[in-house]
Amino acid sequence: MLLRYTFHRLLMLIPVSISISIVIFMIVHLLPGDPIDNLIRIGSSPEDRARLVTKYGLDRSLISQYFLWITSMLRGDFGDAIVLRRPVADLIAQNLPYSLTLGGLAFLFSSIFGMILGTISAMTRNRLVEGFVRGFILLGSTVPGFWLALLLILFFSVQLGWFPVSGARGWESLVLPVATIGFGGIALVARVTRVALLDAQREDFVTLLHAKGLSRGTILCRHLFPHALLPVVTILALRIGWILGGAVTVEFVFGRPGLGSLLIRALGQRDYPVVQGSLLMLALAVMLGTLIGDVAQAAMDPRIREGKS
Amino acid sequence: MRYSTKTKLLAGSAIVAAAFLATGAATAQEATIAFSAGELGVSSYNPVTATLLNTANALIYDRLVEQDADQSYYPHLATSWEESADGMAWTFKLRAGVMFQDGTPFNAQSIADWIPDFQGTENNYLVDAIDAVEVIDDLTVKFVMKRPEPNLLYNLASTYMGVPSAAAFDRLGEDYGVSEAVGTGPFKLDSFSIGLETVLVRNDDYAWASELSENQGAAYLERITFREIPDQSTAFLELKTGGVDVLLGVPTDFLEILKEEAGVAVIQMPGLGIKYIPINVTAPPFDDILVRQATVLAVDRESILKSVYNGIGSVADNFLISSLPAAEVDPASNVSYDPAKAGELLDQAGWMMGDDGIRAKDGAPLTVKLFTQNSTDLTRLTQVIQAQLKEIGMDAVITVFDGSTIRDEYKRNAHQLAVREYDWNNSDILDWFFSGERLGYPNVSMWKDVEGQRLNDVAMKESATSEQRAANFKAYHEYILSQALFAPIYQPTINIAYNAENVVLPEPIRGIRFRSQTALDMKVVE
Repeated sequence: MLLRYTFHRLLMLIPVSISISIVIFMIVHLLPGDPIDNLIRIGSSPEDRARLVTKYGLDRSLISQYFLWITSMLRGDFGDAIVLRRPVADLIAQNLPYSLTLGGLAFLFSSIFGMILGTISAMTRNRLVEGFVRGFILLGSTVPGFWLALLLILFFSVQLGWFPVSGARGWESLVLPVATIGFGGIALVARVTRVALLDAQREDFVTLLHAKGLSRGTILCRHLFPHALLPVVTILALRIGWILGGAVTVEFVFGRPGLGSLLIRALGQRDYPVVQGSLLMLALAVMLGTLIGDVAQAAMDPRIREGKS
Repeated sequence: MRYSTKTKLLAGSAIVAAAFLATGAATAQEATIAFSAGELGVSSYNPVTATLLNTANALIYDRLVEQDADQSYYPHLATSWEESADGMAWTFKLRAGVMFQDGTPFNAQSIADWIPDFQGTENNYLVDAIDAVEVIDDLTVKFVMKRPEPNLLYNLASTYMGVPSAAAFDRLGEDYGVSEAVGTGPFKLDSFSIGLETVLVRNDDYAWASELSENQGAAYLERITFREIPDQSTAFLELKTGGVDVLLGVPTDFLEILKEEAGVAVIQMPGLGIKYIPINVTAPPFDDILVRQATVLAVDRESILKSVYNGIGSVADNFLISSLPAAEVDPASNVSYDPAKAGELLDQAGWMMGDDGIRAKDGAPLTVKLFTQNSTDLTRLTQVIQAQLKEIGMDAVITVFDGSTIRDEYKRNAHQLAVREYDWNNSDILDWFFSGERLGYPNVSMWKDVEGQRLNDVAMKESATSEQRAANFKAYHEYILSQALFAPIYQPTINIAYNAENVVLPEPIRGIRFRSQTALDMKVVE
């Protein structure tokens, strides 16, 4: 049953991907400006410019440019960057590991601490603890990343000298960026966990469990938590795309490479193949993340895979 | 047999001892340098095909000639050169004993192999005037020209004309410049991570420095790590904490903060361009030369230099940086600040001052569009310009664009005034920004003029020698100034900051930028 559900969902990815590729292509090409002006250098002639426009096929109709791009993408060929002068696949492959490490660690960090904090906040009877956790959640969801990054650098790198200010060499350079991204994530996950647990607590079966004389701990771990996990998993799954491309400001401040930085640079230079390739990658990651989330939900809740819910 | 074993043993202990001494030394000869903002994002160290290069590239490769800060040329891989009287041939004598980092020799054949590589690349314009390269002997090479190119030395001194090893270039193909890059320079490429860092190690065999450096042998530094730090605040904190020893490009407004830092030293070099206001001559009211002249007269450059740039750098009197010969125009051609005269000109043009301080003509207010790009420096400067235009009764409305979009606006002819900047230390920048063949962008002034095009043709195509070229460009420059096509504002400096407790830099820095001549003289503080 679960297999059939997964297969069905995978099939649906095909039309979605095609529509997304069209949207991405159109947005990128309808932006004002073009890559050639970022490519030509002072001293080259207007004829050189015209030659380049032809060389990169920018004088063709948008429809034929789209089909050229999408057919080569289907063959697994991302094409060559116009301004960055490298195969797009190489550029993505060079930046992806940085994004995966940073995003993956921040994801783990925020998921674990977020769930713990959310649970504490939902379960505790201590006003002070609850107030602290709720304050933390509020801060985490409102403090801008670049500001927090500079604050962390000033304190941990400049004052204490514990971690390098910037760069991407060794685990030490990961601590502050992971903390910066994770901080916002913790707040989000904690908030969702808290609400889900509070909702679950009001269910009738919980009252029954209490009546049966089960301890609070047992109810939390064996009954409440699995129940409350559904919305948390959805939120986490939606963040998978964010892991890859959402760290732009943090990458900028800490001087780290990454898919987000590559995308922003390419966008500024209108390097179409790079923007299209990396946006499509990110879109696929988001779709896969959602799929994983949905399948995980279906695995946990039979009502979903049977289409009853 | 026994003898040879003994030698080996001796040699072995010498190596061990040397290693011991090296590790025992107080400081490793290493430095970390942060690229300037303009050189971030380089994707390859292949100077033939690249469209963006950085300082590391200039250390891996040597050039035939070098250019000093006063724009004069110095021999490097070429020891001397001769241009034929008609400009149709250039003969270069090459330095003997130069080796590429892969062990292949540098000679006349290296040049003959290299020049044709530019064909079909975006950098072909650098060698376009060269018809053929003839190898006269092992160390003499002759360029047979299609047309005279008095600008050839400038091109040869460009980072894009660092001479690569033909063997490595052919062997690696597409991968050249990414996995390996081989030149004759004082440093070798050790590792390159796009967007992160480039590590160079010393070329121990280096013995062919140009006159621009004091050190004529191998560099003192054994290893240089170049880092890409896009955020200026982060770069500053790296310098402060010792994570970085040198910052190659410090924004002028950071200098005040840097001065407060103990141990930080700053070197200023003349910049390579100016900041200016192009005026669209096709957009009313600027189709009237009186209004253009009034706009130019309204810009108080001295006060901008003082208030916006803390007196660092200098005012721009015309379109070219002052070290270029064609910048020495008739002083009467240079711009001046005279708001009273600006007012008179506007009155003459029919724009009368209204009660609200804004001029009007036939009921229409003098409201104009003032475009700029989204950099902190340019937007701040634009606000000051807006206030100065207000003084003469011109109401300028600022719109901020990103770099790619603003070019589209210029091409759509949607602009009137803009605040821009360029970096280019050659008079042919006049052709780039004012040639009638490039209306919209780069010719933001949208200026097409018969006499202007004639003077452009003379300067670009009919100059046989560099003296003639300078004179022709000066005439073209004076004519451009007479048409009030732009208002020059400011000539910035290149600011290099370094941690004087860690490294020593030569001062003044020779050459037009931080390049191999500076890296050769750079030392770690013992």
